[in-house]
Amino acid sequence: MIELSHVTKRFGDEMAVDDVSFKVAKGEFCALVGTSGCGKSTTLRMINRLLEHSEGEILLDGQPIRDFDAVQLRRRIGYVIQSTGLFPHWTVARNIGLVPRLLKWPSTKVHSRVEQLMHLLGLPVGEFAHKFPHQLSGGQAQRVGVARALAADPDILLMDEPFGALDPITREKLQEELRALQSRLHKTIVFVTHDIDEALQLANHLVVMRAGRVVQQGTPLELLHHPADKFVESMLGGVERGLKQAGLTRVADHMLPLSPTLPAQSRVPSSMSLRQALSVMLRDHTERLTVVDPHDMPVGELSMRKLIREPKADQGHDREH
Amino acid sequence: MTVNTRAATQASRSPWQIGIPLVWLLLLWLAVTGMAQLEGFFRLFEPDVRSVIYSRVDFSLLLGRHLFVVAIAALVTITLGLASGIAVTRKKGRDFLPLVSQLASMGQTFPPVAVLALAVPVLGFGTLPIIVALMLYGLLPIVRNTLTGLQEVDVGIKEAARAMGMTSGQILRQVELPMAAPVIMAGIRTSVTINIATAALGATVGASNLGDPIIAGIVNGNTAYVVQGALLIGLLALSVDSTFEQVQRRLKADESPRNK
Ligand SMILES: Nc1ncnc2c1ncn2[C@@H]1O[C@H](COP(=O)(O)OP(=O)(O)OP(=O)(O)O)[C@@H](O)[C@H]1O
Ligand SMILES: [Mg+2]
Repeated sequence: MIELSHVTKRFGDEMAVDDVSFKVAKGEFCALVGTSGCGKSTTLRMINRLLEHSEGEILLDGQPIRDFDAVQLRRRIGYVIQSTGLFPHWTVARNIGLVPRLLKWPSTKVHSRVEQLMHLLGLPVGEFAHKFPHQLSGGQAQRVGVARALAADPDILLMDEPFGALDPITREKLQEELRALQSRLHKTIVFVTHDIDEALQLANHLVVMRAGRVVQQGTPLELLHHPADKFVESMLGGVERGLKQAGLTRVADHMLPLSPTLPAQSRVPSSMSLRQALSVMLRDHTERLTVVDPHDMPVGELSMRKLIREPKADQGHDREH
Repeated sequence: MTVNTRAATQASRSPWQIGIPLVWLLLLWLAVTGMAQLEGFFRLFEPDVRSVIYSRVDFSLLLGRHLFVVAIAALVTITLGLASGIAVTRKKGRDFLPLVSQLASMGQTFPPVAVLALAVPVLGFGTLPIIVALMLYGLLPIVRNTLTGLQEVDVGIKEAARAMGMTSGQILRQVELPMAAPVIMAGIRTSVTINIATAALGATVGASNLGDPIIAGIVNGNTAYVVQGALLIGLLALSVDSTFEQVQRRLKADESPRNK
């Protein structure tokens, strides 16, 4: 568990982080969002003591991080950055095995752990183990970066815009994989991004920052339903907030039993997000969709007319993680 | 003398290229041992003088002394250059960074002849003043390239290294120095090659080496002597330089090129 209470960071006279408090429970995925220069990275880097905080307290499982030796602490915390920071003169396998070797694991154990992680991140060992970072695509390099961070099986993962430099398709793929990974590994994650959709999709706790301060925090749906002010609202997509909200709920949560009338032509799987279903309605010029299960069997229907009659706000179901 | 040799050579190693230093070394050895056989050739320069082959001291002895002076200077400059380059790029030594880079560049604007002229009254005639001159002169390329090499290491990579829990010593040894090695090596190569030529000046202050035939040739008006000294120094410089080139190639091939 990570807890920041009244944490401040000054660079000279400049307040980069100003009285920031938030908690990330074990297994929780926390996203820090905000405009450029608002102190997200600084906050993250104080957690593994790349930067020392000026005031306040940062606790790890209840213990102040200043009680730990900084080097030992960092070996227990995974760290992923946008530029990957892979060592260009080391092979993929050697890069991934870095922290286990620092922890003096026996080399056979390091070796098998590296292979295990390469499997986990979809990097075929035969093809990639002996490649150098410059021989990788951006997406592959970032996978190696994530594998390296996970190598010594840390409980905590800090990620600073890990997918920021990737094209949208690769980014989405890696987001999906990270989500799947998280549902298996239950790491405690603090994730910095300025892609609000990424934050909404991945996080179950959102911290919105502005000029070094926390403006609002809560679950994605809480923030979407009750943005504290204009800034948070515009961060969350302004007018498109409705769609973002719809993006967080699934068709299954809104569907009605099949009506006796003729079923609609357009079909959508029940696992689809409501946002995508709305898009299908617009595309197919229809206000009714047939909802099908994974075997393409109709299980219900979605009706625009019924959707807009749903009670407003707080009715959505937070997405399972 | 350029700092950036990185982009220049594509590391393609053929047996043919590895042979180049051997060819120069062979020629050097032939010249040292068989200079007398070329008497007919040197006669062309000076048809009238009695002796056309420098013979006051054996060439192999001159070569040995020349190498000795250059090697001592190289040992000191490499140690000092690396140490100071590393020291001022650490957190504790950062304050001295501007000072050290300035001192190093001043070392080279000072002509070696002037260093010798100033050193002789203090250190006397002989080998010592030339070693001092070579040290001052050879320090700059090493310090400068060590600084450049270390400073060029991507900050993201250094930050990641720290974040993974590497100690500063581990970062220096496993990340910074290996990544800077090709640039540092280029500095050492420049320094040593220049000093092989500069060491000849030692002959003017009584340090006997391959500069001797040149000075003797100038003093006595014997061009053949000058050519012999220059030939040997040239071959020595080429041998050493091409050896360094091979080492550099190897460094670059081992440590694959970086693109960030
Ligand atoms: N090492 C440093 N020294 C001085 N000022 C710094 C340092 N690191 C960050 N800052 C300042 O602190 C503020 C917050 O920076 P930070 O990197 O945390 O922003 P960010 O939210 O991560 O922005 P971005 O989205 O652009 O990455 C900025 O004004 C920045 O200039
Ligand atoms: Mg940042």
